[in-house]
Amino acid sequence: MWTTKTFLTKTKRGNILKIVREHYLRDDLLCGSAACNTCPHKDDELVLETSPKSPCALFDFPHYLVLDTNVVLHQIDVLEEDALTNVIILQTVLEEVKHQNTAVFQRLLDIISNKKRKFYSFVNEHHKDTYIERSPGEKQNDRNDRSIRKATSWYEYHLSINSLDGKFPKIILVTDDENNRKLAQEDGIICCSIKDYIENVSGFVGLVDKLSKNVMPETCSKDALYPAHLTPSQIHEGIRCGQLYQGTYHASRENFLEGNASVNGFEKSILLQGHIGINRAIDGDIVAIEIFPKEEWRKPSNIVLEDKTEDPENILEEETVLLDAAKPVDNDDEITPTGKVVGIIRRKWRQYCGILMPSKFHGATRHLFTPAEKRIPRVRIETRQSEILASQRILVALDSWPRNSRYPLGHLVRALGPIGDKDAENEVILLEHDVPHARFSEAVLNCLPPNDWTIPEEERQKRVDLRDVCVCSVDPPGCTDIDDALHARRLGSSDGLATYEVGVHIADVTYFVKPDTALDKEAASRSTTVYLVDRRIDMVPELLSSNLCSLRGGEERLAFSCVWEMDENANVLSTKFHKSIIKSKAAMTYEEAQIAIDDSSRKDEIAKSLRVLNKLAKKLKKKRLDSGALLLASPEIRFQVDSETHDPIEVQAKKIVDTNSMVEEFMLLANTSVAQKILEEFPQCAMLRRHPAPPPANFDTFLKAARQQGFEIDVSTNKSFSKSLNEAVIPERPFFNTLLRIMATRCMQQAAYFVSGSLAADHYYHYGLACPIYTHFTSPIRRYADVVVHRLLAASVAGAGPHAALLDARRQTALADTLNYRHRHAQLAGRASVALNTHILFKNRVEIESAVVLAVKRNALQVLIPKYGLEGPLYLPSEKFTYNEEEHVQKCGDVVLKTFDELTVRLSLDSSNLQHRKLVFELVEPHVPGFSYVPDAGNMEVDDVAETAAPSSEKTHKKREIPAAAAAPKPSKKRKSRRK
Amino acid sequence: MAGLLLSSTEKVFIVHGVQEDFRSDGRSNIDYRPMELETDVVSHASGSARLRLANTDILVGIKTEIDTPKPDKPDMGKIEFFVDCSANATPEFEGRGGENLASSISNTMQRAYHSSQAFDLKQLCIVEGKQCWKLYVDILILECGGNLFDAVSLATKAALFNTRIPLVKALLMDGGNVDLQLSDDPYDFKFLDVGSAPLLVTLCKIGEKCVVDPSAEEESCSVISLIVGITGNSKSYCADKGASNLSDVDIKCSTISMNGPGSLAPKTLKNAIHQGIIAAKVLDDSLGQALLRERRENINSMKSSYGFLK
Repeated sequence: MWTTKTFLTKTKRGNILKIVREHYLRDDLLCGSAACNTCPHKDDELVLETSPKSPCALFDFPHYLVLDTNVVLHQIDVLEEDALTNVIILQTVLEEVKHQNTAVFQRLLDIISNKKRKFYSFVNEHHKDTYIERSPGEKQNDRNDRSIRKATSWYEYHLSINSLDGKFPKIILVTDDENNRKLAQEDGIICCSIKDYIENVSGFVGLVDKLSKNVMPETCSKDALYPAHLTPSQIHEGIRCGQLYQGTYHASRENFLEGNASVNGFEKSILLQGHIGINRAIDGDIVAIEIFPKEEWRKPSNIVLEDKTEDPENILEEETVLLDAAKPVDNDDEITPTGKVVGIIRRKWRQYCGILMPSKFHGATRHLFTPAEKRIPRVRIETRQSEILASQRILVALDSWPRNSRYPLGHLVRALGPIGDKDAENEVILLEHDVPHARFSEAVLNCLPPNDWTIPEEERQKRVDLRDVCVCSVDPPGCTDIDDALHARRLGSSDGLATYEVGVHIADVTYFVKPDTALDKEAASRSTTVYLVDRRIDMVPELLSSNLCSLRGGEERLAFSCVWEMDENANVLSTKFHKSIIKSKAAMTYEEAQIAIDDSSRKDEIAKSLRVLNKLAKKLKKKRLDSGALLLASPEIRFQVDSETHDPIEVQAKKIVDTNSMVEEFMLLANTSVAQKILEEFPQCAMLRRHPAPPPANFDTFLKAARQQGFEIDVSTNKSFSKSLNEAVIPERPFFNTLLRIMATRCMQQAAYFVSGSLAADHYYHYGLACPIYTHFTSPIRRYADVVVHRLLAASVAGAGPHAALLDARRQTALADTLNYRHRHAQLAGRASVALNTHILFKNRVEIESAVVLAVKRNALQVLIPKYGLEGPLYLPSEKFTYNEEEHVQKCGDVVLKTFDELTVRLSLDSSNLQHRKLVFELVEPHVPGFSYVPDAGNMEVDDVAETAAPSSEKTHKKREIPAAAAAPKPSKKRKSRRK
Repeated sequence: MAGLLLSSTEKVFIVHGVQEDFRSDGRSNIDYRPMELETDVVSHASGSARLRLANTDILVGIKTEIDTPKPDKPDMGKIEFFVDCSANATPEFEGRGGENLASSISNTMQRAYHSSQAFDLKQLCIVEGKQCWKLYVDILILECGGNLFDAVSLATKAALFNTRIPLVKALLMDGGNVDLQLSDDPYDFKFLDVGSAPLLVTLCKIGEKCVVDPSAEEESCSVISLIVGITGNSKSYCADKGASNLSDVDIKCSTISMNGPGSLAPKTLKNAIHQGIIAAKVLDDSLGQALLRERRENINSMKSSYGFLK
């Protein structure tokens, strides 16, 4: 016997289909009761007892219970107790529960499968006597209720005529729906509410406590959670009349319910809060914003909030935490223009790396995906291979974010590899930062010269021969892509001052990378070499970067030279640029060079030349600082890496010696000289680099924190800033000044490449270096900007016409944008790699280290461990600490924590969740009773680790040092690493 | 029809009979043969009907789909006709044999339904300029026993009458787009207003007179036939209460086409059209009554389904 079920469904494309399914009705479904003598049960199928003892005082006769859907959904805690047995779960109920709450469904299945509980699931929807069809005008819920009643009466009747001896259990329908009870009573069904039933059950202590009192609101509908976005024409119109503003949305890393958007014409960026305020914008999107009237402006909530909810389906959780925290106080200078997103102008979605959080419900296909990037919300994806993917890093693409979905919808792109695997993690870093890291294509490799390339005769004729000059290079240890070398020699004297010839020789990459070849295009798209802790992603193929272009000691190489005549006070008398051939006398490390300078017994040419350079560099530096250049700092570390596993073993801070600064000074000088030259020659299309002065608002928090430590920092100009930074020294806290500089660095704007024609001349200024014009010339092997500058310079000195594309201002501007983007991401990738290796380092250890407070948040401190350059939140429980909003301090009894304070913290890696390993910071000193970590146990652990670590480090004799990529946006920094 | 062999005397007999308004099977010139009609025979379709007229057997299914309206008619839905001549109907339809006939039927139907007075496409509009319903009328010719055009138009009107259009709620989505929401109640639907939908009447010129609903023998005596599309009367398609409020609508001719090699004199043409209108009116009224009766029976669930078992 069969019938059909007809329903309508909507396809993904929006079409509406009529679906007709056959629905089979059977007459051989068993009732499951031992009291029945007609159903052909086998022994193990008899679930319900013949004459169950009534546990409830209300009913003194044997009975079975039939539960309705809401009872199961709300009172699953009660059902899990052993009190209720002999219960019939109808298929109607089972399906409704499955549909509404998979977690409860799972629990219900567990109960049913427990034989002792005597729960019988009856397939009433397929039984010919209990199936009912929905009648016109009837709601689905009403139909289900009717179906439950129908099945209940059927059971009653079935048992009454088929009982063995005329005694049969009655059926009681348990439902909280009054209307349903009324209708059931009309049908002659005994019914009862769960509350009445459970309250009269004796012998189970605490059962009543498990009753859920608050009946959940009607299950969430598919209604829209978010307001609709405006149409493009509405947005356009709104922006034109000035009601709406266009901006780029930046999500907060710390609080998933907060973000801001930078909008032209507002000094502060616009604050966007809450689900509605953000309205499905994702970090990077270009959005249309409506700004609230001034009375509704708020200030950033200043709390650390993570999206922790466990798959809430499609409900927006309470936002009161956030909103309470951000109640505005009058006349607060932190009040920020606040608004809400009303439309998306352009989505800037890419593919995101992260991990899968498999659904609790076994076999489900809908799962949540947590991106590695904290600013991206979780994504709902559908996959059938969640079990395999749970242990993998995966790549997910976003598809859409409809109004009725709590999370954006996406799909799996591919799995990257097991979580924790180094290659997979590196892949994540590269993908997350959009670093092109595929192998060089065949077309690119075809542009390379042969391996045994030597300088051809015609080049020798064209170039200045400097092979006899004592040129040498100074670089970090292990550096293979040497792109600069120096020389200095005494010329004579003028006006009573000794004069010197100083040359900076830069690898002539443009000789090999001709414009518009595949190689050139690839290099332009990569824009920069990216340094990870254990890997280098080259901008140009290795043959060039490590061999033909690299100015190795003792080999003839093509170079682009910048040669100055200088007096002994480091005043430049004349400058000339020319292509040359050099033969470096020595490729030294900073330390070797330092030793050569310091060792007075060395009288050779190299040492002499280095001493001259060093002397001049110091004078250059002094001049530069006098004119207002800032000395900024950033925590820099390098890892010692185990030669076999490539795991980091130890970190150490980078050593800075005089020679570092010596090379740096001459590179700065070369860059500045070249910048002047190319701007002079190509005023419209010179590729320059600028560093805008930070807006004063950036400094607010920084100044407040410095004031708490007793220092007034003057940030009006870079000169006064530099001066007050120099004076802010606490003798007993040597790190304090560095910390101040680290904090100052964070207030800075990003330096950026630009094309001279695109900005007015007064915007060319480089704030950090205090120089009116600047460019990048000295590292063409690893930066594409330098390649462009080389071409421009070559065109201006050799007289050879420049390549047409160089003069196309628009194309150059687009190129500058790409360079800035890649440069920024390369920096971030480098930092991420350091963070990754730090995690690996802490896999097996716990340490107690001194730390400093970088910022005070409402519920946490942002702390920095100088030794590791590690940063993270130290959560403070609100019941112990009170937060003072005005002062930005956290108080607990006598202990006051404020920015720049030094603490001792305990560091450990929380591996309790393997997918989500994170470093945990615990407060040790100052001691707060009941909160601080008790240190003696910790010390023991540290000792243990030290002992066990010692022999292993001896075993691995050969350790390679690989410097970490540094973090500051300081343009002159040299970062190189050895290839694995 | 091809397989039919008639002697010339038999033909003369038929021609003379028609002249006298007296046909070989006892009908007058404007009488139809008895027909059988059942609606809702295909459960997967939104509306369907099957019609048997003598040996002609037509099945019509209506499929509804969401579409975007044409830019020049933003408030109108769409309707499209497809005719499939099954090779079972006659051996001539094998291969591509039926294609010409099929396209001529569907073109005639499309033309007949084109006028807004014949079929109001505005009732298929969901959101003006954004979304509308598109009706696919799939006509399957199962058996071919003459007078296809009339049978197809009758079955189509019956199927449209039976069509249930789901009620949808339009929701505003991002960027002014519209998203449709379905009610979960399968009984949430509306019927189409098909009262004025046209019927095609084929008038077969035999001798000087025309007959409607020619049998295969009569068709072989004719050199030309005229097909007129005549709009229906909404009143006949309303349940009792509503009908009294509606006034009788003038019947209009929405399309005319001719089939066959012969020609028509203007006077004959005029007479023929007049005759067609009279025939169509009677036909339309009785179709309306039959459909209303069936719907009533359906609601009271008195009707048992015959389907293809009969």
